[in-house]
Amino acid sequence: MRSIDIHAHTFTPTMLKTMAAGQEWYGMKYTDAEQRNIFVREGKIVNVHPKCRFTPEERVADMDQMGTEVQVVAIHTPVFGYHLSSADGIAQAREVNDDIAAFAKEAPTRFAGMATLPMQDVDAAIAELDRAVNTLGLKGAELDTVVNGKTWDEPEFLPFFKAAESMGATLFYHPQPQHNLMLERTAKYGLNNSVGVPVEDTLLVAALIYGGVMENCPDLKVCVAHGGGPACFGMGRMDRGWQVRSEARVNITRPPSYYQSRLYYDIVVMSERSLRFLIDQVGIERVVLGSDYPFVGWDPSPTGWLQGLESITQEEKDMILWKNLEKLLGIETTGN
Amino acid sequence: MRSIDIHAHLTPQRFWRATENGGDWHSLRREQDARGRQIAIVGDRRGGLPPKARWTPEERMADMDSLGVDMHVLSPYSGFYNYALDASLAVASSRDSNDEIAEMVTAWPDRFAGLGTLPMQDVNAAVAELERIMTTMGFKGAMIDDKVNGKLLDEPEFLPFWKAAEQMGALILFHQGDGTLVDFRTDKFHLPNSIGNLADRTITFCSLVMGGVMDACPDLKICLSHGGGYTCYNIGRIDRGWQGAPDSPTKPPMPPSEYLRRFHYDCIVYTKESLRFLIDTVGADRVLFGTDWPYDMEFDWPVSWVLSLDNITQEEKDLILWKNLENLLGL
Repeated sequence: MRSIDIHAHTFTPTMLKTMAAGQEWYGMKYTDAEQRNIFVREGKIVNVHPKCRFTPEERVADMDQMGTEVQVVAIHTPVFGYHLSSADGIAQAREVNDDIAAFAKEAPTRFAGMATLPMQDVDAAIAELDRAVNTLGLKGAELDTVVNGKTWDEPEFLPFFKAAESMGATLFYHPQPQHNLMLERTAKYGLNNSVGVPVEDTLLVAALIYGGVMENCPDLKVCVAHGGGPACFGMGRMDRGWQVRSEARVNITRPPSYYQSRLYYDIVVMSERSLRFLIDQVGIERVVLGSDYPFVGWDPSPTGWLQGLESITQEEKDMILWKNLEKLLGIETTGN
Repeated sequence: MRSIDIHAHLTPQRFWRATENGGDWHSLRREQDARGRQIAIVGDRRGGLPPKARWTPEERMADMDSLGVDMHVLSPYSGFYNYALDASLAVASSRDSNDEIAEMVTAWPDRFAGLGTLPMQDVNAAVAELERIMTTMGFKGAMIDDKVNGKLLDEPEFLPFWKAAEQMGALILFHQGDGTLVDFRTDKFHLPNSIGNLADRTITFCSLVMGGVMDACPDLKICLSHGGGYTCYNIGRIDRGWQGAPDSPTKPPMPPSEYLRRFHYDCIVYTKESLRFLIDTVGADRVLFGTDWPYDMEFDWPVSWVLSLDNITQEEKDLILWKNLENLLGL
C-alpha cells in the first residue's frame, strides 16, 4: 500500500555487534547473557525489542506483512547519547548515522533515515546534521524532547533550528519512553509511557511555540510523535495562559494555537476520536502516518487501522498515508 | 435556568484579617510586593493573590450576579492546603477555613454550598474533619491536591480516607496546590499551570483507577477539575498501558476507559471543540459547570460562554450549568 511511516525505531548493526562481543558501546552494554536488556548509564536500563535487531531484509518482510511501503528509520531514543562527552557524542552520532544510511542504501525504495545528533554540542550537531542530510541523504534527525534537562526554547538552540530550516531537514521529536518526567512523580502502572510520553510531547510543542522557534523559523519542518500528545486538546488552556500571563508572551506575538498548524503530528493517538480531533484542530495536511514500530500492536496493522476508520475520508487517509510525507520528505511512493 | 459553579475558590476573610498588621494565620503570613500585589507566604512558598481573592461575600455575590452565576460551591484557595506544614497547623487552618465557608452557606444558603479543605498529611485527622463538616455542617465534600507531600492518593495509607468519603457521600474535588509535574522541568511560559494542571489531573485519574481505589470504593464521588486534564483525550493510550501492565492485586478488571463515567469533570477546557470531545467521551451527565473564580485563568464570561456554544445542545447546557450538580450534591 502506498505509505510512508515516519515513526519507526531500530537499533544499529555496529551497536549490536559491539555489545554482542561483550564490549561497551559508548558506555552501554548488555546486562544479561540473553541480551534482553541494555545498561545505558547509572539508573537507566532499556529492554530490547527483538524487532529492533532486524536486518533490513527481515524488516522489509515485516513491512510487507503490515502493508507499509516505506519506513523512515531512526535509532531508538533510549540509546541517544546526549549524556556523553561531546567527543563521544559526535563519534556515536556519526557511527549511527552511517548505519542508518546503510538501511536506505540496502533498500532505497523501502527505507529512508533520520539521523541522531550530539545535541550536547550545538555546533557539532549542526555539522552532523549537514553531513547526514547533504552527504548521507538522510531526511533530517530524530530528537529527544529535552536535552540534558534543557528545553528547546533555550536561545542556544536557535542556530540549530535556523540551520535545519535552511537545509530543509525534518526534525522528528520523540521523548524517552521510560525515563521521562513522569519518574519525578511515580514509577507505577507504566504511567511513564501512558501519560509521561504524551506530556513530554506536549511540553515539546509548547517549548517550540512559546519559545518563539516556530515564529522565528517559519519554514522549519517539525514532526512530533504520538500526535503531539494532547497538545491540541489542551491548546485552549495554553491560549488562555498566553492571554493572561506576560511570561507566556515574551517570545510570540500571537496565541499558541496560531502556531500549532506549523508542526506535523503522527497518528499514534490510539483512538479514532482523538485522531479525528487532531485532524480538525491542526489540519489534515499536518497529520502523517507513524506507527511507533515495533512497540505498538496495531489492529490489524498501522495502515490497516487507518483504512478501517469511518470518521476519516479516503482523501484524508491518502494524505496521512503518503501524500503529506512525500511532500515533506521528498520521497516518492509507488504502491508496489 | 440556573447556574451552579463547582470550581470557585475562597481565600478566607480570617486569613486577611489575621494578617492585616503583619500577624500570621496558623503560621501563614502576607506581604505586599513593589507593585502592590498581595503575596501569601506558606512555609517557604510564596503565592500571589489576585484582588478579587480579598472580596467579602457581598462583593463576591455582586460579581456572581454580573456573571450570571447563581451559586458557588465554595472551595478553599488551593495555596492553603498546608499539607507541608505541621499537621496541627493544618488541622487548625482547615477547621478555621471550613468554619468560614459554613458561615457563608448558613447566611446565604441559596448562593453558596461548601467543599472543605482537609489536613491530608494526617489521614485520621482528615477523616475526622471530613466527618465534622459533612455530618454537622452540611458540606458537600472537600477539595484536595493530586498529591500529598509527593505521594499520590492511591497509597494504601489513604484507603481509610476513601472509604470514609464514600460512606459519607462526600464529593472529592481534585485541584493542584503545591506545584505540578511540569515544575520539575520548567517554570517558563506559565507551563506548570497550563500543562501541569492537566498532567496532574490525568495522573490522578490513572492512579485512582490503576491503584484499585475505584474498585475498592464503587460509590465514591470524584470530580476532576480542569476537565480532568488530558484524561479523556489520552484514554486510548491509558488503556494500552493497562493492557500491558503486569497483573497485580490492584490492577482493575476492566480497562481504564470503562471508569471514565465513574468520575465527574468540570467544563474548564476553554474551547468548544474540547468541551464537545469531553462530553462525547464521558457523557453530558458527567460534566459540571466550573469557572475557576477568581483567578486569571478563569472564564471571562462563563455562563455566556456555555450558552453561546453552537455545538452543544440546550439539554446538554442545562445538564452542565445546573442539573448535574443539583443531582450530584442534592442542591
